[in-house]
Amino acid sequence: MRSITWLILLFLPLWSLSQGSIGNFSVDETIFYSQTKQMNQFFLRFNGEEDIHGKRLYEGDPGYHDLKTRKKYVNMLFDNSNSLISDDTKFVFIEEALNKKNPVFLDFHGNSWFAEVAATFLYKKEKVNLILYLKLEKQNGGYKWMFSNVYFDRFESWFTHINDTANLKYFIHPMSHELDFMNLHKIFRDSGNLDYYLESDYQPDMLALFVMEMKNENLEFISVNNVKFHIFQVQNWYFEVSYFNRNDMNSGWLISNILRVTEREKKDLIRHYSHTN
Amino acid sequence: MRKLLLLIIVVALSSSAYRVSAQDNLSPQRKQAIDSLALEKVRDLSKYISIIGDKQTQWSDAQRVIERAVELFMENSEVGVSSLNKQDVNYYKVREYFDRLMQLNYSKVTIDWYKIQYVSNLERQPDGTYVGVITIYQRFQGFDKEKGLVYEDTTKKDITIYVKRKETQIGGRTIGFWDVMLGDIRVKETSK
Repeated sequence: MRSITWLILLFLPLWSLSQGSIGNFSVDETIFYSQTKQMNQFFLRFNGEEDIHGKRLYEGDPGYHDLKTRKKYVNMLFDNSNSLISDDTKFVFIEEALNKKNPVFLDFHGNSWFAEVAATFLYKKEKVNLILYLKLEKQNGGYKWMFSNVYFDRFESWFTHINDTANLKYFIHPMSHELDFMNLHKIFRDSGNLDYYLESDYQPDMLALFVMEMKNENLEFISVNNVKFHIFQVQNWYFEVSYFNRNDMNSGWLISNILRVTEREKKDLIRHYSHTN
Repeated sequence: MRKLLLLIIVVALSSSAYRVSAQDNLSPQRKQAIDSLALEKVRDLSKYISIIGDKQTQWSDAQRVIERAVELFMENSEVGVSSLNKQDVNYYKVREYFDRLMQLNYSKVTIDWYKIQYVSNLERQPDGTYVGVITIYQRFQGFDKEKGLVYEDTTKKDITIYVKRKETQIGGRTIGFWDVMLGDIRVKETSK
């Protein structure tokens, strides 16, 4: 409640702020000012690199990286409607991430964060959902988003029998080599069970399958439906940022999930959230 | 005239800064000058959208304005539109988007632009071009002759801007300047 009051007070004078702006529509725009409109703004607010009017602050400007302001800002960057994020968790996170001695700053160009994009495709004329994972990569002094992985349940279903220890039926017998592997033709005729014959530690490359299916025109992109970000840049913490499209001061890009994790657990989490093996 | 003046200011700012450092890093002052130029383009776009959508605008005038509006964009730019009740995003070429706007079946259309605007950092791409996003908000109202107001929405428009360092010859001297073009636009209906 206190943070909402602070929020209202913070953005109250913004009714008539319009110098050099695009529009002239005179209505209360407090919600839009309060809203974290871009992921870029999430980073700047978290780091204390913009003022309450959205003006960029640079090194030397009053308020730049100011810890007190950051604590208020970061408190506003949580999705308040999420009952799973307790006030205690927020408090501990803010105290740890913004400690006086060594405060954390999110780094857009840094590693340890990636995008998750839920998208609709047509797969052999059938509408399907895929998840694409993207990471920023540096090249020639600039940056670009690159596909790091993909999740498509259809691809997963092709590999369910890898290392199936209960299987006593599908195997290539150990003397097959003496017959020039002539029995392979039986195995390939039954292609639905091909995954039984893959070596037990084989890790399928989903991205390779995705590229193949796109190039063969079996997959056709329709639309991006949802975007979120997984951030691992704060020591001992993981958090997820999602977009909340609602008519509320607490809207836009906000922390939708947060976990206190050890650095070792982070590696497992990254594997889990990015569907990597 | 205002645009020309702004261009001269930007050229002057950027060329003096360029002499100091040939690096590609943008100083805060240079970024502010580029932001102004980019916002000027977005302001032009918002004016053009209001004219194209206005039912009082003659077809031939609207066509001319569409041409001007398209000139603001990089080739192959698209507009991705989504509404609250539909999960998928529809992607249109900018010209197609303007044509659809012109042909909307209302007797009267009102397009208002909110005063708020948000300009992101400029990030360098591998090809040396800088890219940023300007966010603006628009209220759209469609009226029917008999029923009055029949449709209303507020949309958030995230507009890509591309900023490229270019050079031109003026009086035998090579002058560097920053050229700004618009790119893809994401149009998202905001929650009511």
